Amino acid sequence: MNAVARHIHPGWAIIAPLLVLVVALYLGPILNIMWLSVTDPEPGLGNYRKLFEGDTLLRIVWTTLRICVITTVFSVTLGYSIAYAMVHCHQRQKNYMLTLLLVSFWISILVRTFSWLMLLGRNGLVNNTLETLGLISAPIAFMRNELGVLIGMVHYMIPYAVLPLLVSMQSLDSRVMDASRNLGASGSQTFWRIYLPLTLPGIVASTLLVFILSLGFYVTPAVLGGGKVLMVAEYISVQLLVTLKWGTAAMLAALMLAGVLAMLWIMSRFMKLSAVFGGSTR
Amino acid sequence: MQDKQFMKEMLTESAHAYKEGRMDRRTFLALCGASGIAMNAVLAGDAQAAADHVVMWNWGGQSVECHGSAIGEAFTAATGKGVKFDTSGPLEGKIKEMVDSGNVTADVADADLFNAVSLGPTGHLEPIDYSIVSKDKTLPGYALEFGVSVILYGYAFVYDTEAYGDNPPKDWKDFFDTANFPGTRALYKWANGSLEAALMADGVAGDALYPLDMERALNKIKSIKDDSIYWGSGSEVHSMVVNSEVTMAIVWQNRGRNMENDTDGRFKLVNNQAMAMPGAYIVPKGNPAGREAVMQFIATAQEVPAQLKLLDCLGMTPSNPAAFGEIPEDQQPYAITSAMNIDKIVYNDPTWWGENGGDAVNAFLEAIS
Repeated sequence: MNAVARHIHPGWAIIAPLLVLVVALYLGPILNIMWLSVTDPEPGLGNYRKLFEGDTLLRIVWTTLRICVITTVFSVTLGYSIAYAMVHCHQRQKNYMLTLLLVSFWISILVRTFSWLMLLGRNGLVNNTLETLGLISAPIAFMRNELGVLIGMVHYMIPYAVLPLLVSMQSLDSRVMDASRNLGASGSQTFWRIYLPLTLPGIVASTLLVFILSLGFYVTPAVLGGGKVLMVAEYISVQLLVTLKWGTAAMLAALMLAGVLAMLWIMSRFMKLSAVFGGSTR
Repeated sequence: MQDKQFMKEMLTESAHAYKEGRMDRRTFLALCGASGIAMNAVLAGDAQAAADHVVMWNWGGQSVECHGSAIGEAFTAATGKGVKFDTSGPLEGKIKEMVDSGNVTADVADADLFNAVSLGPTGHLEPIDYSIVSKDKTLPGYALEFGVSVILYGYAFVYDTEAYGDNPPKDWKDFFDTANFPGTRALYKWANGSLEAALMADGVAGDALYPLDMERALNKIKSIKDDSIYWGSGSEVHSMVVNSEVTMAIVWQNRGRNMENDTDGRFKLVNNQAMAMPGAYIVPKGNPAGREAVMQFIATAQEVPAQLKLLDCLGMTPSNPAAFGEIPEDQQPYAITSAMNIDKIVYNDPTWWGENGGDAVNAFLEAIS
């Protein structure tokens, strides 16, 4: 017993139940998926080879990445200005803004997706109004294409972008900015050289959050894309449920997982991830 | 659909908890209410191994009521066994998963006949017992080893009478002709029906479709890609039509009547060259109620009264030839095997789809995305 205790810290005994749970309920199924990706339909790397055999899979991955990057850029930029406005306005307005943000955060993704169809669809409010006013002669195709997917996704993601930025901006010491002005920097210099670098952990956190969540988007592309915008999540679902190519589905899932982990690893080379996720920088 | 599955599992769990006293009744009912799922749907998931019930796995909505009144009542009267429903939708992947996991909770799935071709030989289905089920009470070629067609649905199209009032489109050729019939079309996203329509538009005869010439079909599909959007569910195409997002749409023909009604007749159903799809009842391997009970259930569904009630309630066309002559007058334009339509339709080949469906769907997705 003593021999064991010398090698293994007794503290492990306390967290052992949790560890066992995590391994059994979380890592187990993930390993199962990875296993499936090299064994179904036949053992080997055949599923991974498929990536390079035709351009279909690569194109789907490319579409997914492109849409996720654009979504992330717009969500974080818009989210940054919203968070900035919230931090720097009166408490009462801030409460209104926070309420509106959280309300849209809580509304089901399906409802939000379909409301875009009503607003911007072919016979939606915007197109009908513009046509009645005589500004356009034919409806503008906002929906059922990639633009529609992007509008829907950016709208869905903005609250996710705002919240980490808000936390990061609120924790800034405003005296630093005052000091910068006092030392003769202009307003924009203070912003670009002091404010922005100080909120960088928040930007990274919201970028990661938005990008990773976007990778798994399913409902919005399926509905607003009109069937022409095929992203990985929907393709995986089709392979699982309709075409029974579970190996392909598992391969794509493993690929996404590896991509996300690689991204976190690269980020961790440049900054402390604990700071990004709200821990202390020290 | 994933949400529904999750809800079902969550509620089944809480039903167990309630039974064992770990959860009070009020909490359980609140959960049921909050998730908007009828109690019987939950209890159905819980009804495994209940030999006095047959659990039918269907797609929810009206079908619970309709399957209950059209088949369930007659089945209960004849055998004394009840019918319960699992409404989470028996997609092929879900049937495979259910059988592979060894936890089979459904007795009969309201699926497609091509599912019987792809899942049967891999050991996921019980063979149909043709000493109880009749091969004569369905169309020839639609009584297979692992599944039998009980109803037909079809792929037909609707068009906007305001867009094409004087010169309405008559067939698939017109549907694919964007020069003479300008406007956006909606096609089915999972290839089925869309491929056959494309081939017929390209001049292939309705009885010479199989094996499908994929390249030819996909080229035709791609030729109208800029004027097409694609739907994945019946409700999706319904809203595309009702909101006039499209001027023509391939639809499940059994929904055509609702679309005509909901647009006050602005959209009209065309059944010419409609493709009859054999909807089939298939039995997951090791189903809890046992083979005999479920075969009796399927046999009940084949009877003429059940067939006519399914038509009346769900718009599903009878597949039993004895029922064709008894299709009521007002259903004639909408039932694809009615005297009015039967000479104009073509028939789906479930064997081709069962063997090639997966690759066809992927090729189709590649072409449209």
